[in-house]
Amino acid sequence: MAASQLEASVRHEKDASVIDLKGEINSFAEATLNTAYEEATQNDAKVVVLNFKDVGYMNSTGIALIVGLLAQARKSHRELRVFGLTDHYLQIFEITRLVDFMSIHQDEKSALV
Amino acid sequence: MNENVPVNQTTKQPRDAANWAKSGENLKVGELPREATNLNVEGRRVVGPLEGFGQLWQKTYRVRLSGTSVTPTEVVKVWKEHFPEFQPPSNRFYPSVAGVQPGEVVMINAMTPGGPVSTGVMVLYSDEESFTLMTPQGHPESGWVTFSAFEEDGVTVAQVQSLARANDPIYEMAFRLIGASMQEQIWTHVLTSLARHYDVQGAVSVQKTCVDPKLQWSGFKNLRHNAQIITLLYTLGTPFRWVFSRGKKA
Repeated sequence: MAASQLEASVRHEKDASVIDLKGEINSFAEATLNTAYEEATQNDAKVVVLNFKDVGYMNSTGIALIVGLLAQARKSHRELRVFGLTDHYLQIFEITRLVDFMSIHQDEKSALV
Repeated sequence: MNENVPVNQTTKQPRDAANWAKSGENLKVGELPREATNLNVEGRRVVGPLEGFGQLWQKTYRVRLSGTSVTPTEVVKVWKEHFPEFQPPSNRFYPSVAGVQPGEVVMINAMTPGGPVSTGVMVLYSDEESFTLMTPQGHPESGWVTFSAFEEDGVTVAQVQSLARANDPIYEMAFRLIGASMQEQIWTHVLTSLARHYDVQGAVSVQKTCVDPKLQWSGFKNLRHNAQIITLLYTLGTPFRWVFSRGKKA
C-alpha cells in the first residue's frame, strides 16, 4: 500500500503554536514534522501543541519522530502538548511512556489553557 | 496535566492497531530453552528513550543489499525468522514460541567485558517492513531499536536504528568507555550477517546523533534494577544454590 504523506499546518495562537497533523506519521514524515516545528517555534512560543485528530496511521519510526520533537522542546525549555488522540494512540503514548513527558488533552481548548 | 482521555472517540481502528504491543507493563517470559537464564525481565515494565540516565543517542546503521532482487518485505520476514542467528556469538537471543510479534518478549543472555548479563526486550511494534524492540527496566539502555528495510534508488536497504540512553550511571560510564563501540560492532555484525544471507558483501554505514546531551539525574535510582549487577550476583551464587539443592535432595 502506498504511504500517504503527512500534512502539517501551523497556527499561532495567543501563547502557543498549534501544529495540525493530517495523514500518516512514518519515516516519510520527518521533514514535514521538523519544518512545522521550526515554524511553530519561530515566534518564540513557549508551548507547542500537536493536533492528532486527523492522524490515521503511525508506526514506530513515527513515534521516534515525536520523541525527537519532545527532545528539541525540552532542550529549548518549551512545553509540548497533545490533543485529539484516539484510544489507540493514547495507548501507544502510554506504552512508550510519552505520557510521562508531555501533557495529553481532551481538546484544543484545554490544551491551550 | 493529563486529563481523563480518551479524547478522539472513534469505533474504527486504524490500520496500525494490530502492529503495536497492547501493554508495556508486567512483562511475561514464556518457555525458554534449558540453557537460557531467565532474569531481569519477568514482571518488569518497558522503559522509553525519555527515561533512563545518560545522553540520548540516535544511531542509524545501514547496509545496501546491492545485486539482489530481494524486496524490503522479504528482508524483514527473513530478519524476524532468523533474528537470533544474525547476532554475534556473545549475544544469545531467545524469542518466544510466537516469534517476533507485538507484545512478545525476547530474552537475551549476553557476555560483556563486565561479565554476563541476562535481560530481554519486548516487541513494541511489528509490521511487514519493520519491527521495534523496546527495553525493560535494568537493561543497559532505555529506549528502542527499529529494524527495517526500504528501497532506495532501486536497491533494498536494511537498517537498524536505535533511539536510547544508558539506563543508569554505571551503564553510562560503561558506554562511554567501551559499550558504545561494542554496540556498534554488534549492529554492524547483525547487518553484515543479514547481507551475507543474500550473498552480499555490503559495507555498513553508521550515523550518530546526540538527541539530548543532558544527563537525567532522576534516573540515578535505576541502579536498583541494573541487570548486569543482578546477573553477576546470581552467577556468583550458583555454587551455593547447587550445594543447597543437593542438600535438599539428600
